[in-house]
Amino acid sequence: MAAPDFTLTDQAGVPWTLSEHLDTAVLLVFLRGDW
Amino acid sequence: MASRYDELLAAGTRVVAIDVDSPGQHAAMVDKLELPFPYLSDPDRTGAITAYDLADPNDARGIAIPALVLLDPSGEERFRFVSRDFAERLPEDDVVEAAKRLGLSATTQEPIEVGPLEPGERAMPLDGMPFYFRGGRFSALAMGLRHGHHDDSIKEDSKAFVDEMDRFFEAAQALRARKAGN
Repeated sequence: MAAPDFTLTDQAGVPWTLSEHLDTAVLLVFLRGDW
Repeated sequence: MASRYDELLAAGTRVVAIDVDSPGQHAAMVDKLELPFPYLSDPDRTGAITAYDLADPNDARGIAIPALVLLDPSGEERFRFVSRDFAERLPEDDVVEAAKRLGLSATTQEPIEVGPLEPGERAMPLDGMPFYFRGGRFSALAMGLRHGHHDDSIKEDSKAFVDEMDRFFEAAQALRARKAGN
Protein backbone atom coordinates (compact mmCIF):
# COMPACT_ATOMS: atom_id res chain seq x y z
CA MET A 1 0.00 0.00 0.00
CA ALA A 2 1.07 3.55 -0.62
CA ALA A 3 0.71 4.93 2.89
CA PRO A 4 3.26 3.84 5.51
CA ASP A 5 1.95 0.94 7.60
CA PHE A 6 2.43 1.06 11.35
CA THR A 7 1.64 -0.73 14.58
CA LEU A 8 1.02 1.37 17.69
CA THR A 9 -0.38 0.65 21.16
CA ASP A 10 -3.97 1.65 21.88
CA GLN A 11 -5.58 2.98 25.08
CA ALA A 12 -5.92 -0.55 26.43
CA GLY A 13 -2.27 -1.44 25.75
CA VAL A 14 -3.22 -3.58 22.72
CA PRO A 15 -1.26 -3.31 19.43
CA TRP A 16 -3.21 -1.71 16.55
CA THR A 17 -1.95 -2.21 13.00
CA LEU A 18 -3.15 0.04 10.19
CA SER A 19 -3.11 -2.60 7.45
CA GLU A 20 -5.46 -4.82 9.49
CA HIS A 21 -8.12 -2.09 9.39
CA LEU A 22 -7.80 -0.98 5.77
CA ASP A 23 -10.55 -3.22 4.44
CA THR A 24 -12.32 0.13 4.33
CA ALA A 25 -11.19 3.75 4.58
CA VAL A 26 -9.35 4.96 7.70
CA LEU A 27 -9.05 8.54 8.95
CA LEU A 28 -5.86 9.21 10.92
CA VAL A 29 -6.37 12.09 13.36
CA PHE A 30 -2.98 13.36 14.51
CA LEU A 31 -3.19 15.39 17.69
CA ARG A 32 -0.71 17.55 19.50
CA GLY A 33 -0.46 15.40 22.60
CA ASP A 34 1.36 16.25 25.82
CA TRP A 35 -2.01 16.74 27.55
CA MET B 1 -13.96 14.62 15.38
CA ALA B 2 -16.03 12.52 17.78
CA SER B 3 -19.10 14.60 16.88
CA ARG B 4 -18.84 13.50 13.23
CA TYR B 5 -18.00 9.88 13.99
CA ASP B 6 -21.37 8.41 12.97
CA GLU B 7 -21.25 10.22 9.63
CA LEU B 8 -17.75 8.91 8.96
CA LEU B 9 -18.72 5.32 9.75
CA ALA B 10 -21.78 5.69 7.50
CA ALA B 11 -19.40 6.80 4.74
CA GLY B 12 -17.22 3.71 5.26
CA THR B 13 -14.46 5.46 7.19
CA ARG B 14 -13.02 4.28 10.50
CA VAL B 15 -11.29 6.75 12.81
CA VAL B 16 -8.15 6.47 14.90
CA ALA B 17 -6.43 9.21 16.92
CA ILE B 18 -2.63 9.34 17.34
CA ASP B 19 -0.35 11.39 19.55
CA VAL B 20 2.76 11.07 21.72
CA ASP B 21 0.98 10.42 25.03
CA SER B 22 0.93 7.07 26.88
CA PRO B 23 -1.81 4.41 26.76
CA GLY B 24 -2.71 5.29 30.36
CA GLN B 25 -3.16 8.96 29.45
CA HIS B 26 -5.26 7.92 26.46
CA ALA B 27 -7.38 5.63 28.62
CA ALA B 28 -8.07 8.58 30.93
CA MET B 29 -8.95 10.81 27.95
CA VAL B 30 -11.22 8.19 26.35
CA ASP B 31 -12.95 7.65 29.70
CA LYS B 32 -13.35 11.38 30.38
CA LEU B 33 -14.60 12.37 26.92
CA GLU B 34 -16.33 9.07 26.03
CA LEU B 35 -14.34 8.87 22.80
CA PRO B 36 -15.69 6.13 20.52
CA PHE B 37 -12.51 5.37 18.54
CA PRO B 38 -9.05 3.98 19.39
CA TYR B 39 -6.39 6.38 20.63
CA LEU B 40 -2.86 5.28 19.74
CA SER B 41 0.51 6.09 21.34
CA ASP B 42 3.51 7.11 19.26
CA PRO B 43 5.72 8.34 22.13
CA ASP B 44 8.98 8.75 20.18
CA ARG B 45 7.19 9.64 16.89
CA THR B 46 8.90 6.77 15.04
CA GLY B 47 5.72 4.72 14.51
CA ALA B 48 3.49 7.00 12.44
CA ILE B 49 4.08 10.69 13.19
CA THR B 50 7.43 10.94 11.40
CA ALA B 51 6.44 8.49 8.66
CA TYR B 52 3.54 10.79 7.76
CA ASP B 53 5.84 13.83 7.99
CA LEU B 54 3.93 15.32 10.92
CA ALA B 55 6.62 15.73 13.60
CA ASP B 56 6.67 19.35 14.72
CA PRO B 57 10.29 20.50 14.17
CA ASN B 58 9.72 23.57 16.35
CA ASP B 59 8.66 21.72 19.47
CA ALA B 60 11.34 20.33 21.77
CA ARG B 61 8.87 18.04 23.53
CA GLY B 62 8.46 16.11 20.31
CA ILE B 63 4.77 16.51 19.68
CA ALA B 64 2.88 16.03 16.42
CA ILE B 65 1.41 18.73 14.19
CA PRO B 66 -2.40 18.36 14.38
CA ALA B 67 -3.51 16.90 11.06
CA LEU B 68 -6.08 14.75 9.29
CA VAL B 69 -5.06 12.04 6.80
CA LEU B 70 -7.77 10.04 5.01
CA LEU B 71 -6.64 6.72 3.50
CA ASP B 72 -8.72 4.71 1.06
CA PRO B 73 -8.71 0.87 1.16
CA SER B 74 -5.73 0.71 -1.22
CA GLY B 75 -3.73 2.87 1.20
CA GLU B 76 -3.79 5.95 -1.01
CA GLU B 77 -4.06 9.33 0.68
CA ARG B 78 -7.30 10.95 -0.47
CA PHE B 79 -7.40 13.95 1.86
CA ARG B 80 -4.78 15.68 3.99
CA PHE B 81 -5.05 18.71 6.19
CA VAL B 82 -2.09 19.97 8.22
CA SER B 83 -2.76 22.73 10.73
CA ARG B 84 -0.71 25.90 10.99
CA ASP B 85 -0.57 25.72 14.79
CA PHE B 86 -2.10 24.00 17.79
CA ALA B 87 -5.16 26.26 17.80
CA GLU B 88 -6.31 25.78 14.22
CA ARG B 89 -9.65 24.10 13.85
CA LEU B 90 -9.61 20.78 11.99
CA PRO B 91 -11.92 21.02 8.94
CA GLU B 92 -14.48 18.41 9.91
CA ASP B 93 -16.94 19.27 7.14
CA ASP B 94 -14.25 18.88 4.47
CA VAL B 95 -13.04 15.50 5.67
CA VAL B 96 -16.58 14.14 5.99
CA GLU B 97 -17.25 15.26 2.40
CA ALA B 98 -13.99 13.64 1.24
CA ALA B 99 -15.02 10.40 2.97
CA LYS B 100 -18.43 10.46 1.27
CA ARG B 101 -16.77 10.97 -2.13
CA LEU B 102 -14.97 7.62 -1.71
CA GLY B 103 -18.36 6.00 -2.28
CA LEU B 104 -17.78 3.15 0.19
CA SER B 105 -20.41 1.11 2.04
CA ALA B 106 -21.07 1.91 5.69
CA THR B 107 -18.67 0.28 8.14
CA THR B 108 -18.42 -0.46 11.83
CA GLN B 109 -15.66 -0.24 14.41
CA GLU B 110 -15.40 -2.51 17.42
CA PRO B 111 -16.28 -0.94 20.77
CA ILE B 112 -13.01 0.02 22.38
CA GLU B 113 -11.54 -1.37 25.55
CA VAL B 114 -10.04 0.99 28.12
CA GLY B 115 -6.97 0.07 30.18
CA PRO B 116 -5.88 1.56 33.53
CA LEU B 117 -6.50 5.32 33.73
CA GLU B 118 -3.29 7.31 34.20
CA PRO B 119 -4.15 10.93 33.45
CA GLY B 120 -1.25 13.29 32.71
CA GLU B 121 -0.23 15.83 35.34
CA ARG B 122 -1.87 18.66 33.43
CA ALA B 123 -5.01 16.75 32.42
CA MET B 124 -8.07 18.87 33.07
CA PRO B 125 -11.06 17.36 34.87
CA LEU B 126 -14.26 17.39 32.84
CA ASP B 127 -15.93 19.70 35.35
CA GLY B 128 -13.26 22.34 34.68
CA MET B 129 -13.59 22.26 30.91
CA PRO B 130 -16.66 24.52 30.49
CA PHE B 131 -14.92 27.30 32.45
CA TYR B 132 -11.75 26.81 30.41
CA PHE B 133 -13.72 27.20 27.17
CA ARG B 134 -15.48 30.29 28.57
CA GLY B 135 -12.08 31.80 29.33
CA GLY B 136 -10.90 31.01 25.80
CA ARG B 137 -14.06 32.57 24.39
CA PHE B 138 -13.66 35.90 26.12
CA SER B 139 -9.91 36.10 25.44
CA ALA B 140 -10.56 35.60 21.73
CA LEU B 141 -13.42 38.09 21.81
CA ALA B 142 -11.28 40.71 23.57
CA MET B 143 -8.41 40.30 21.08
CA GLY B 144 -10.84 40.72 18.20
CA LEU B 145 -12.41 43.83 19.70
CA ARG B 146 -9.07 45.42 20.53
CA HIS B 147 -7.12 44.53 17.41
CA GLY B 148 -9.67 43.64 14.73
CA HIS B 149 -9.42 47.09 13.16
CA HIS B 150 -5.83 46.33 12.09
CA ASP B 151 -6.73 43.49 9.79
CA ASP B 152 -9.86 41.59 8.76
CA SER B 153 -8.09 38.26 9.32
CA ILE B 154 -7.81 39.11 13.03
CA LYS B 155 -11.54 39.79 13.17
CA GLU B 156 -12.29 36.54 11.34
CA ASP B 157 -9.95 34.48 13.52
CA SER B 158 -11.44 36.01 16.66
CA LYS B 159 -14.96 35.16 15.53
CA ALA B 160 -13.96 31.62 14.54
CA PHE B 161 -12.37 31.10 17.98
CA VAL B 162 -15.40 32.45 19.80
CA ASP B 163 -17.69 30.14 17.79
CA GLU B 164 -15.45 27.15 18.43
CA MET B 165 -15.20 27.86 22.16
CA ASP B 166 -19.01 28.11 22.27
CA ARG B 167 -19.36 24.73 20.58
CA PHE B 168 -16.82 23.14 22.93
CA PHE B 169 -18.57 24.70 25.93
CA GLU B 170 -21.92 23.25 24.87
CA ALA B 171 -20.35 19.84 24.14
CA ALA B 172 -18.63 19.77 27.55
CA GLN B 173 -21.83 20.76 29.33
CA ALA B 174 -23.81 18.12 27.44
CA LEU B 175 -21.23 15.48 28.35
CA ARG B 176 -21.30 16.50 32.03
CA ALA B 177 -25.11 16.30 32.03
CA ARG B 178 -25.04 12.89 30.36
CA LYS B 179 -22.51 11.51 32.82
CA ALA B 180 -24.43 12.96 35.79
CA GLY B 181 -27.53 11.14 34.55
CA ASN B 182 -25.76 7.77 34.35
